[in-house]
Amino acid sequence: MIPDRIIEQGTLATTGSAVSVEVRLPWYRSLPASCISEVGLSVDGVAAPAESLTWTMNGRTRTLDEMVGDTDDWWFPTDSAVLTADLPVTPDAEHVVDVELKLYIPYIVTDHGVLRIEEHDTKTMKAAQR
Amino acid sequence: MSDLGTPVQGVTLYSFTRAFHGREYDLEGLLRKVAAEGFGPGVEVIGFSSIRDFPALDDRFVGWFRDLMAELDLVPTSLALNGDWAVDPRRIMSVDEVVDYMTPQVEAAARLGFPIARITPTSLPPEFMEKILPVAERCNVTLALEVHAHHHGKHEGILAMRDAFERIGSPMLGFTADWGATVVGFAPSLLEAYRRRGATPELLEEVAALWDRTYQEGPPVTEEQHGERFGAFIGLAHKHGRPDLGVDFGINGTGLFGPAPIDTWEGIAPWIRHCHGKFFGIDENGEEPSVPVRGLIEFLVQHGYNGAISSEYEGWHWNYWEDPFDIIRGEHVVQRSAAIDAGSRMITDPAEARAVLTAHLGHGAAEVAR
Repeated sequence: MIPDRIIEQGTLATTGSAVSVEVRLPWYRSLPASCISEVGLSVDGVAAPAESLTWTMNGRTRTLDEMVGDTDDWWFPTDSAVLTADLPVTPDAEHVVDVELKLYIPYIVTDHGVLRIEEHDTKTMKAAQR
Repeated sequence: MSDLGTPVQGVTLYSFTRAFHGREYDLEGLLRKVAAEGFGPGVEVIGFSSIRDFPALDDRFVGWFRDLMAELDLVPTSLALNGDWAVDPRRIMSVDEVVDYMTPQVEAAARLGFPIARITPTSLPPEFMEKILPVAERCNVTLALEVHAHHHGKHEGILAMRDAFERIGSPMLGFTADWGATVVGFAPSLLEAYRRRGATPELLEEVAALWDRTYQEGPPVTEEQHGERFGAFIGLAHKHGRPDLGVDFGINGTGLFGPAPIDTWEGIAPWIRHCHGKFFGIDENGEEPSVPVRGLIEFLVQHGYNGAISSEYEGWHWNYWEDPFDIIRGEHVVQRSAAIDAGSRMITDPAEARAVLTAHLGHGAAEVAR
């Protein structure tokens, strides 16, 4: 719905071995953590190891597995979440960042199950040293 | 036919989703913009879009919101609620659980001064409406189930709901009619957006032609038929080597552009309490090319409709290149002109709007939720 806004320009940061980027909700209304189904991050075409991904929202950092079934913590449409993963990225250089989000839409249920949207965004930006 | 209707002009903040999401306007900024532009007097708000922590509201927010609406002389018409029956996607809630989930949302509508709660999704069963009715009666809030494409005013599920409303006989039950159910063409601005995403002219021609064929065949009467059409759009995308566009074609081709004729609203006309004036764009002639706005206004006027029409611009999903405020202004011009052509007028005065809406619903806005 609003895929062009997923990646916040200028938010790529690296410690050398770990990378983070801020992401926005590509949907018009708040969704609970339980609806954040799958997340993918790659930099310069290299995918971050899925098991290293963490999600920071409303001041809490968790893995996606830890968010399964959480209907108390909500992602508001104007808030950024921070996606972090183990991936070596050089600072002060331009990188191509790609984020894929798969989100359940909790009020749209059809014969095929709960609607799950798949949105993705690619942006180029410099990585800040952290 | 009854006396001619005088619909109340208004807007849903959903029309400005990109501006709010892009942090150009916060809730206060949007409401001030709506007032300054004369896009009211009616205003619809989507709880889960505009209000943090919804439906939990503290007294400070409630007071601030009511004071701001009063200062701006805007009229709260509908608070849009969501029945998130898969809030935990691993399981679907029972009807009783959805009632519990939506009760605080109906209470929030009352506290914020909205006389109508827009209920979504369309496929909630009559049993749900019957079970949540006592909450609506306690809060003095009309429940208006949204009839949204692929449903329409003569869809079997909607007629079953209407029959249930007639059986229950409560003035607090009705429908929100979404004009996206009665569309006459695939929005040209969406075809343009697909073109900008690299879709070939041949593919776009076939997409438009497939939609035109469903329009000729008429709206889906059963869920099975709806599913077949969804699949046909996906098939086209695959055939042209763009499977990435398939789901998008399907969602928009069946869920945004419903092909029902205007007169299908006859099925539920006396039960329409609110309208989403859904539309997708205004062309160089100042008209909506794919939603028959003039015919819909004429229908409502002729059926004595005195509720609000929340102009709902949905072209923002794909249209990055035009200003939504200009587009709303343009649709309101069409609506007002169409109402005059139908021998009536749109109400734009806030005091008159409040009086007409109170009579239309049989109640005013709740002062406080008990």
